[in-house]
Amino acid sequence: MTPEVIGSVSALVMKLFTVFGLGVYAVFAIIIVRQEQLMAKTLAESSERILRALTLIHLAATIAVILFAIILL
Amino acid sequence: MTNPSETKHMSPFTAFAFHPKTLHFETQEKDETVILFLRQHIILILPWFVLSLLLFLLPTILFPVLLSRLSAPFIIPTGYVVVGTMFWYVATFGFLLTKFIHWYFNIFIVTDQRIVDIDFVNLLYKEFSETQIGKVQDITYNTKGVLAAMFNYGNVIIQTAGEIPNFIFESVPYPDKVIDVISDLAKAKAVKDTI
Repeated sequence: MTPEVIGSVSALVMKLFTVFGLGVYAVFAIIIVRQEQLMAKTLAESSERILRALTLIHLAATIAVILFAIILL
Repeated sequence: MTNPSETKHMSPFTAFAFHPKTLHFETQEKDETVILFLRQHIILILPWFVLSLLLFLLPTILFPVLLSRLSAPFIIPTGYVVVGTMFWYVATFGFLLTKFIHWYFNIFIVTDQRIVDIDFVNLLYKEFSETQIGKVQDITYNTKGVLAAMFNYGNVIIQTAGEIPNFIFESVPYPDKVIDVISDLAKAKAVKDTI
């Protein structure tokens, strides 16, 4: 294998690890959204919409980072 | 006893509400009225906000200094710097969000019929406990520390004759008013039961 091939393979492995790690974080972001929905059933309050919006923003931002990682790395 | 005034509007940061109008909880009966709604004092989540603020500032202040001082044997590709920085901000936001959700959903509710304690232990575990107002035997409170004295919060300990011997409302605002309200409700219930 030439050094160029080794370099491109290691870059691909690094990219895959990064995207996988971000994917694990995305699962965590989904759990936060789901948990907020479940807890909102326990407690219905007027300001609950704000919290739901924040959890969705967090999930959207996580997905955006994954997309950036796929494109930029 | 001087009752606190009714709370008309609740914000996401409300930690003490008397007769909240816009609140409903999972197992609330149709004829049941929420008298008190409590969370831990807001000052207890302030350290998390400060820490998150520092974490938000870290990439703009510390990272350039570190990168200029440290001579790495390899060059970090720009793509990794961009994605890493973006992830740092998202993770910091996520950290603050989970701390806030944890605070937000750890609640204590006193209705005209019972006392409810909802504990949101972590993202995957919730605990719901309740006792009837008529089962309240003894109620005390304590305030510990400088912050508790300054911001008037403390632990309210409710001893009951039910399956759960003790209910502890931890670090709630105005503990003196809380025990006043619960004592009055327990007395009213006892009078009602004897008639």
